[in-house]
Amino acid sequence: MDVIAQAVAFVFQWQNLAALAAGTIYGIIIGVLPGLGPSAGMALAIPLVMSWNPATALIFMGALYKCSNYGGSLTAILVNTPGDASNAATVLDGYPMCERGRGGVALGLSASAALVGGTIGMICLIFAAPFLADFALQFGPSEYFLTAILALSLIAAVVQGATIKGLMAAGLGLLLSTVGFDVIAGHLRYTFGWAPLEDGIPLIQALVGLFAVTQALVLAESAASISRIAKLSGSFWEGVRVYFRHPAIIVRSSVIGLFVGVLPAVGQSSAGLLAWADAKRASKHPETFGQGAPEGVLAPETATNACMPGDLVCTIALGVPGSVGAAVFLGVMIIFGIAPGPLAFVNKPEVIYSLFVALFLTSFLVFIVGMTVARRLAVVTLLPNNVIVPLILVVSLLGSFAIRNEMADVIISLAFGALGYVMLKGGFTPIPLLLGLVLGEMVETNYHRALLVSGGSYTIFYASFICKVLIALTVLSLIGPYLGPFWKTLTQGEK
Amino acid sequence: MKERFKSTEVWVKIALLFVFGGFYAFAIPFPQDSRQFPQLLASISLVLTAIALGMDFVRRQVIEGVVGGVDDTELMVLDAATRRARRKRFYQAWTILLASTAAGFLGGFLLSTVFLFAGFGLAFGNRENRVRNTVVAVAMTVLVYVVFGRIMAVPLLDGVLW
Repeated sequence: MDVIAQAVAFVFQWQNLAALAAGTIYGIIIGVLPGLGPSAGMALAIPLVMSWNPATALIFMGALYKCSNYGGSLTAILVNTPGDASNAATVLDGYPMCERGRGGVALGLSASAALVGGTIGMICLIFAAPFLADFALQFGPSEYFLTAILALSLIAAVVQGATIKGLMAAGLGLLLSTVGFDVIAGHLRYTFGWAPLEDGIPLIQALVGLFAVTQALVLAESAASISRIAKLSGSFWEGVRVYFRHPAIIVRSSVIGLFVGVLPAVGQSSAGLLAWADAKRASKHPETFGQGAPEGVLAPETATNACMPGDLVCTIALGVPGSVGAAVFLGVMIIFGIAPGPLAFVNKPEVIYSLFVALFLTSFLVFIVGMTVARRLAVVTLLPNNVIVPLILVVSLLGSFAIRNEMADVIISLAFGALGYVMLKGGFTPIPLLLGLVLGEMVETNYHRALLVSGGSYTIFYASFICKVLIALTVLSLIGPYLGPFWKTLTQGEK
Repeated sequence: MKERFKSTEVWVKIALLFVFGGFYAFAIPFPQDSRQFPQLLASISLVLTAIALGMDFVRRQVIEGVVGGVDDTELMVLDAATRRARRKRFYQAWTILLASTAAGFLGGFLLSTVFLFAGFGLAFGNRENRVRNTVVAVAMTVLVYVVFGRIMAVPLLDGVLW
């Protein structure tokens, strides 16, 4: 408790409060720009904070990392382009809400989720971090492999609407993740001699292409503005009220977010999509999901905001990042001389707990910013397409370019843009593909590790109790969508 | 049978068959450890795609692309003229994108920015808004240059030409 009291006193020093506010605003701006997610934002900010006190710099970076998720949800809602993979699920209902002129309500939902999900997540992180980390440590390679397969199956079954097509898209994503150096044998695969692909398909560039470029192309086809209704109805506060009318979804989504967050390498994108799928399954009106259901915004937003603290548990306590952004955060910690691992809590408790307290305060700052600025940002949906399309393209392709300063990355983004467009026109959603791409390396690495541990025997994948539960859930997620209609036909036939 | 081939979904699935087949075939020369995972995935994906394609052809009713909130259903009811206009805009957009990327290769990303704003402003904007579009293009290019080129030191003017 003394450490927490010292951390509170430290965070309330003026320079740390300034760093917190600057990180919050910078994070939201970075999040708003499609393609420039927390990882790119942190990478771009490193030169700026290099000379700062390590604890102050980490407060800035932590706020940036946390708030970029909220910024990303703004673009997900307003321009159908998630700022980062973590906002992928928000697009599904946030954008349809905006199309119906209820952008203000969606923004209220997302700000409330940032406040509630973030606060719940941070309280759990501060007081329950050791227990959560212990549970995550029980997972071996086979459990990680099966967790990723479960996430892919759930997403394929629920997001796509047709399980088999979702699985095909996920398969393509997993296969694309095998491009580049093989993580096990170090062999080059599918690069065809093109150097920019040697380190694999860069995630941010692929993300920019699949969402920003595809969306820009879809917008370019139509002559109107994003919002089909010429004015933005629905207030921010209506969104806040709607949010608090769904306590069950808030609790379930927070639990999903925390659970997924604490699992290394699964990440916020999975948390959001799983929470969306859960809310859809539990809803009395699942048909409204994907058409602008408020629950479809509040569930993924709450989960991703609750996930981020859990994500940090693995990053700080184990040194295993839970997402791409967390991986960069891990790098930032190392740059500032804070070695991640269980000893970080012993050697640098003041830095770690200052970071936690700062992140706790950030949830409130985000809500204030959302309350004051977000509604003005909604006006962006009324801009004509000849302005918004090049704006999306310039900012997102610039984000793609700025990471390695290579035009080849722009080409990769354009290629993924074309792929995303073809998939949309062919009745496929690119979300399972993206998840396959994100989880691909983890799936393959743990597949090989599990086989190494078992000496090549596949029994390891159903040896433990956790494995059996994960397999059962995977099978259920795949056959679940067919069980409902089958049962209906069966009972109607009997009648 | 011909109706089936009018569906974009069917063509995407046929293309995916080739893509998955390609992933399997190109993995053959890889060492055992490197090819095992992609070939396993490609095999499963090939089977799934073949099943999905088979189901499309076996089903009696005309294929209905189950598209989650995408424009497909809207496209189906659009009249031919609107569809042509959309296609024209799509090709224009790709032309601008490719031209701007080529310009970026030659003169740096800042040229891409100019090409994108100017291209979309000219091709998609109204004539009466031309001045406004030009002002937006110039302002955005300057903003991009100042924020990314000067403050963040991204080399926006590094191209093949200089």
